[in-house]
Amino acid sequence: MTVLADVAARPRGSTGRKIGLGLLLVFLVVLPLGTNIEGQTWVTNARLFQFTQMFMLITLASNWNLTGGFTGYVDFGHAVFFGLGAYGTGILMTQQHGIQWPFWAAVLGGAVVAAIFAVLVGFPTLRLKGPYFSIAMLGTFVAMREIIRVTKPVTGGGVGLTLPPYLNRALFYYLTFGLAVLVVSVMWWIRRSEFGSSLIAIREDEVGAEMRGIDTTLHKITAFAIAGFLSGIVGGMWAYQNTFIDPDVVFIESRTVELVMMTMLGGLGTVAGPVVGAATIYWLRDVVWAAFFDWHLIVEGALLIGIVLFVPTGIVGMLGDRSGTSLQRLWGRWLGSRDRPGAGPDPPRAAPPQPQGPQGDAGDEP
Amino acid sequence: MTAIATEPLLEGRSVTKRFGGLIAVNDVDFVVYPREIVGLIGPNGSGKTTLFDCLSRVQPIDGGRVFFKGVEITRLKPHRVAHLGMARTFQVIRVYRKLTVLENLLVSRQWRGESLWNQLRPSHPDTEGQARRLIEFLTLEHLTDSPAGTLSGGQRRLLELGMALMPDPDLILLDEAASGVNPTLVETIKDRIRALNTEQGKAFLVVEHDMRFIADMCSRVYVLNYGEKLAEGTPQEVMANEAVIEAYFGA
Repeated sequence: MTVLADVAARPRGSTGRKIGLGLLLVFLVVLPLGTNIEGQTWVTNARLFQFTQMFMLITLASNWNLTGGFTGYVDFGHAVFFGLGAYGTGILMTQQHGIQWPFWAAVLGGAVVAAIFAVLVGFPTLRLKGPYFSIAMLGTFVAMREIIRVTKPVTGGGVGLTLPPYLNRALFYYLTFGLAVLVVSVMWWIRRSEFGSSLIAIREDEVGAEMRGIDTTLHKITAFAIAGFLSGIVGGMWAYQNTFIDPDVVFIESRTVELVMMTMLGGLGTVAGPVVGAATIYWLRDVVWAAFFDWHLIVEGALLIGIVLFVPTGIVGMLGDRSGTSLQRLWGRWLGSRDRPGAGPDPPRAAPPQPQGPQGDAGDEP
Repeated sequence: MTAIATEPLLEGRSVTKRFGGLIAVNDVDFVVYPREIVGLIGPNGSGKTTLFDCLSRVQPIDGGRVFFKGVEITRLKPHRVAHLGMARTFQVIRVYRKLTVLENLLVSRQWRGESLWNQLRPSHPDTEGQARRLIEFLTLEHLTDSPAGTLSGGQRRLLELGMALMPDPDLILLDEAASGVNPTLVETIKDRIRALNTEQGKAFLVVEHDMRFIADMCSRVYVLNYGEKLAEGTPQEVMANEAVIEAYFGA
């Protein structure tokens, strides 16, 4: 039993929390059975579809948080892995020549493609810091959409691909539910592990971590590949469930923005944050969409601004978990904030004299 | 006083570092033998920290060569140098502020030869025991589970020293380890450095402005001025050196 585990489990009220979590999981497991109950109107196939969407968002936000929250590399193009997973799955399942892959194999194939792409694109982009990395990934994402569009013989181009239709809401519910539980467990495990601590060390002070023996490149690329792989799986499931993919429904900028917003609302760099944030925003959007039909995007945008300004550490941070971070901290070096990871400046590029004393290292919380 | 007839632990040959037109470290030769405590002094901006940055490889070296334990490290990546057994502290404190004191130490352990797969586990109890012993020595027990970001400047210096000791290095570069630490604690730090030196044979290269610290601790001292080696010798010799006095107190 290590202290890292204690930190992950948070001693206060942990028994009550475990019971609550257990009850929630049991509820989610039995929920689809509700469709068999005569006379009730809440648990419908449409409702199961909503939950499926939410589980996928929880999974994607958790993946995003591995690089964005734990490692501190705010990825504005994360949906590229989702897209590659979707297209990998779609292409493998609909091959004109050769064998058409079964769904399971195709999803894994698509996820492997996404992971390999993460490694390839990670080598150049993960050298960039702060907003530069974010923008490079946004560019990668947009470029990939156009590449998919022009490689028509393989991807179907703008016409898209139609997958073998398969309608079974309960199956997709359990698939995405199982994946979400698995992914959140993986993130919880990583957070307790030495690997996870190293990722946070990289976020807090990459130069210091490197000088203390952490192979930062290897760690960053590995985290990126894990996140890419898992988001690729989500993409594959989404493609099969949606039965139709084209560049404009798969590669949507707002999909990444959503993930960022959800993770920030829940709490960057915590295991629970993306889960809480994704669930909150998904259901909130349901309400907002109904109440402000013409305005819902504006309301959402205002919400995002509100989070950044007023609850930078998110819901989980507000509830007392101080281990997370915030966008202000991650980008503080560029936004001129005093509260930022890392005690010192980057390795000096300018000429000496060296800065004297522990500057930029005063006070932790604003 | 100088160790003789042993292989140097650390050796720099004509080490040079330029920032644009400015030569921060110019053609400096130096040697640290095993079990030695060597001082590195000089006025502000004389290139001491830049030299440290070159040794720990966070700065590229523009000229000359550096050997550590007989291995050329001139082009090695920083984490490789750490794996070889060199650790350092920083003039501008570097701790992981959102990690607790204990976690800071755990994550600073010796990573040499550890596969990533093995790191997918929580820290080993032995590692944790080692970290807790260091916390005790550093008198930080009451802060074990506090985020490092909540520590005072002096406490962070202590934590950083612990982080440097954690991987059990053979050579430790101390960059003003005593600045901002209260005088009693400075004495403790000195005692501990002596103990590490005599009992475990650890070598130190120390940047320090406090001349008493240097005189008490070091067997040999290098003096840098404008990036060039101005003098070397025992602390007494160096402090009696006209050029050194000139550089420090000006004309």
